[in-house]
Formats: sequence, structure tokens, C-alpha cells
Amino acid sequence: MFFHIVLERNMQLHPRHFGRNLRENLVAKLMKDVEGTCSGQHGFVVAITGIENIGKGLIRDGTGFVTFPVKYQCVVFRPFKGEILEAVVTMVNKMGFFAEAGPVQIFVSNHLIPDDMEFQSGDMPYYTTSDGSVKIQKDSEVRLKIIGTRVDATEIFCIGTIKDDFLGVINDPATA
Amino acid sequence: MSGEEEENAAELKIGDEFLKAKCLMNCEVALILEHKYDQLQQMSDDPRNQVSQVFEKSLQYVKRFSRYKNPDAVKQVREILSRYQLTEFELCVLGNLCPETVEEAIAMVPSIKAKGRVHDDDAIDKMLNDLALIKKFE
Repeated sequence: MFFHIVLERNMQLHPRHFGRNLRENLVAKLMKDVEGTCSGQHGFVVAITGIENIGKGLIRDGTGFVTFPVKYQCVVFRPFKGEILEAVVTMVNKMGFFAEAGPVQIFVSNHLIPDDMEFQSGDMPYYTTSDGSVKIQKDSEVRLKIIGTRVDATEIFCIGTIKDDFLGVINDPATA
Repeated sequence: MSGEEEENAAELKIGDEFLKAKCLMNCEVALILEHKYDQLQQMSDDPRNQVSQVFEKSLQYVKRFSRYKNPDAVKQVREILSRYQLTEFELCVLGNLCPETVEEAIAMVPSIKAKGRVHDDDAIDKMLNDLALIKKFE
């Protein structure tokens, strides 16, 4: 899910950036530093939308660098266990398939794909039901439920399932 | 992380910070990101170099999965759903997935039928109808 939240960060600025453009320089550095990053607690920082407040700067002993506490509003994407969302299939193999929902990767193991769906290998591998009415392949859109998240320093990775009511393919690129 | 084990969106256990935070539906995120992308485009010829991969992937994703394109419709969706005493998170899941039946809505957002909540099936049905109407007249 996407959220609009306020985060705080201490920004260190070199004295050469001081002057009338200090604020612009600080904001430009903030965008460069945090947009596109990911933390386990807040998820992916997609875009900064505004600056709430820039606190008083504090000169660091010995270096001349100044630290400013900056409060900023941003759009973040944070997946949760138990959340249901839509995703695009990016890769299919006999172990299951990978899907992407915005910046996050989700793996759906073949144990979490309904039992009546079988893997078919080939140039364009896919999962299908015996009557061929439903097909999961690259670029299919699926609705899935996140059942686990793994967080490391710079990425969040999710495990999903489509083995539940109202989950599964919502749009097949072949028939669309 | 100790909080990680407890997390479960189906029971609205998403941490205090996110429960109180403003959630955004995909269509709202699309409006925000497109606006920002346009701004960057005015500043430089090739905004693709300026934005992070996370930004680009998110923009593609929300464009693909936005149920409502028209900004007025987006506003209306939030307005209508906010009449039903939903939390921000529930509101956005419903706005994103647009379930068609009451059973589907409950499967998507189990917490609307949790103990102590006022929603009966009729109320949920009415809510879904209202949503479908916006889509129809968009």
C-alpha cells in the first residue's frame, strides 16, 4: 500500500552550499539521498512531496559541516503481511512465479498456486488449468495476498499466494 | 524485528505509525507522481535520468492499476468511502481492488466484518454500488 507520511532526517551540508540558496541545496540533496531508498520500517521512499520544517543547523566540531534536522512529506510504498494487492507477473518457472507491484518483488511458490493449475514449459512458460481457461504467464495481471515479507538493508521481498477466494488472474495478456 | 511477527493487514495490525498515516489509493498516487514527473520534465529534457528506479516502477504500476483516471472521480471515491467509517487502510484497499460483491469485499478486507464494527451486508452492498456508479459515470 502507498502511504503519505512525514519523515525526519538529519542532513549534513558542506559550507560551500551556504548562502541564499541554502534551502534549495538542502532540499536537492535530500531528494538525491532518500528518493529510491528502502528501509524495513518505512518501505520504499517513492517521492518527496513537500518540506514541513527545517530546524536550526548545528555546526559539527572540527569539520565545518552543519547538520540540519529536516522534516519532509513523502510517498512511500510499504507492503504488509495479509495485504491483498494486484501485481504484474515478471517471470514464470517450475518453482512458481515472480510478480512486481511497484518497486516490490513478490514470489508465489507453486505450492501456493491452486492445485488444479499445472506448469507448462517452453519459450513462454506458463501455469494453466486443465481446460486451459486460465493462464498465468509473463505480463499477466494477478491479484495476490502477501503472506510473508523479508526485509534486508536495501530491499523488501515478499512471498505471496493466489490459493484463496477471489485471488488469481485478473487479466490475461493473450486474450486482452 | 520483534514487531514483524505480529503484522497482519487482515486484522489491521500494520503498526501505529501506518494506521494513523494517510493511505493513498493507486489512482491518487498516479496523480501525485505524474504531477511530479511533469515538473521534472519542465526542468530538464530527459526526466528519466532524474528519477529513481523506484519512482519509475511505481509510476508504471499505479498507471496500470488505477481504477479511476479522472481526478474528480478520484476525489469522489474517497469522499463516498469515507462515509462508511472505514480506516484509511481499508478505504484504500477497497478503492484499489473495487470488489463487486459483498463476499468479495469481505475477503479483500476481512476487518470490515470484525467484532465491534457496524457494517452489515446491506451497508457493504450499498457502498459497492456507490463505487460502481462512479466508475460508470466517470
